[in-house]
Amino acid sequence: MTRNRRPSAQTTAVVLTLAEEPAAWRYGYQLCRQLDIKPGTLYPILIRLTDRGLLETTWDDDVPAGRPPRHLYRLTGTGRALATELAAASVTGAGGAPPARRPGLTEGWQGA
Amino acid sequence: MSRERRRFEAAVVRGGVVAWVAVYAVIVARSDEPPAPEGAVLQLGVPSLLWVLAARLLLRHRWSRADSGTGATDPPARLLAAAVAALPDRRQEWGRAMLGELAEVQGRSARWRFALSSARAVLWLPPAGGWPALALVTAVVGAAVVATGPAVGAAVPGLQVFAVTFAALVGAMVVLAVARSSRPRLPVPAATALVTAGVAAAIAAAVGFLRREPDAAEYLPPAAAVYLAAVLAGCLYVAVTSPRWLGDGRLAPHLGAVAGVGFAAWFLLVNRFGEEPPVVVAVLLGLVLAATPGAAFFVPAYVAGRAGRSLRPGLQAVAWAAIVAMPLTYAVWLPEGLRRHAIDGRSLDGEVIVPVGTNLVDAMIFCLGIFPVIGVTFGLVGAVLGARRAAPAGSGA
Repeated sequence: MTRNRRPSAQTTAVVLTLAEEPAAWRYGYQLCRQLDIKPGTLYPILIRLTDRGLLETTWDDDVPAGRPPRHLYRLTGTGRALATELAAASVTGAGGAPPARRPGLTEGWQGA
Repeated sequence: MSRERRRFEAAVVRGGVVAWVAVYAVIVARSDEPPAPEGAVLQLGVPSLLWVLAARLLLRHRWSRADSGTGATDPPARLLAAAVAALPDRRQEWGRAMLGELAEVQGRSARWRFALSSARAVLWLPPAGGWPALALVTAVVGAAVVATGPAVGAAVPGLQVFAVTFAALVGAMVVLAVARSSRPRLPVPAATALVTAGVAAAIAAAVGFLRREPDAAEYLPPAAAVYLAAVLAGCLYVAVTSPRWLGDGRLAPHLGAVAGVGFAAWFLLVNRFGEEPPVVVAVLLGLVLAATPGAAFFVPAYVAGRAGRSLRPGLQAVAWAAIVAMPLTYAVWLPEGLRRHAIDGRSLDGEVIVPVGTNLVDAMIFCLGIFPVIGVTFGLVGAVLGARRAAPAGSGA
């Protein structure tokens, strides 16, 4: 049985923020500051998004000497589709017409 | 050295000495006869001086590394690194990601907030198999722990508290492993097997002792039973999970394990030859026996520190020596205590005409308390000296 739960408000915020510039790679600390959420909240969200194939990651090795490489994130194609759906849903929540739902994208969330 | 560091060093040194004096006072209070004055001075003074030396060497080594930049991590980074080290392999990338971002965070309070929040996330990651699988494993483990009490209580009543506690702790390790989806790493299987065998031998020795002397159960009160279970389960946990800080090399764990066995063998020899040593044996083994306790911890730590060119391998060797030596010496003490008591009614530490159950208390105090504390102190000195001799000029590592 598939659980039909929508992403949490914070997950939605992360996805929508990443979708603002879908081609750009973003740092975790940068997202924390932009969204004003703690890393203890952000990283579990990033992990779940990555596990579900909605986020791709890479390492930024171009850092000053003596500092560790930084992790970078951006949405995958599926992640961008989810962002589109979430953006539409948020418009609907604000009084618009209900969008046509693509099955599967926002399903299967367990407390994200 | 700054005034703050001097005060910190003095506090650490004083704390260790006061703790040892307190422990010694408890030991003297519960012994039948007070120690001779010269013996008391020696027993109080030598471990205290050793501690002063070890604490000063260790602190100054760390500070010199921090000053030279070779160990440049602040407390928030160390805290987060420790939490990340506990992550299973498949999640290590995320731990490195958090550490990488922490390096960019400026300001002491901001760094603490980032580190604490990230560490919380690391420790509460959802289990890999999902919560239902974890709940099922927890239920099975809980049922096993509950069943252990009556089963052991019927066979060896004196070990009921120990058995339940030990089963609960081992069960908690299993639940933790399932929650974190971590398999035992076993980077040094021989050393791990040795610790596992030592823990099994210690439990078997306690079972054998209490089956032969059921009335001695009064010398293993619940608090002592819990302590015994915690130490043995702790040894097992460290050996089986082999955290990265303890088992990322091969030389240090093996050196430590061999040293732990050597220490246990020394303990057996001392008890076998200690009463009326044959002259030849006494002459030949005298120096070896006298030097073994310190050497068993000092030498492997020094060699590992020197070979690894840093402090960590030395500390690894000390840790392995301790977790091997503790269960093995305990496993030696109890049967030797029975044997000695049958001969002349003494306990192994030489007290005259004492109940045989005293050995249960003495074995814990010495094998799981005094020996490892003094041995680890010797080892710290060896690890620091080894790292110091191995360090390239100016690095301080």
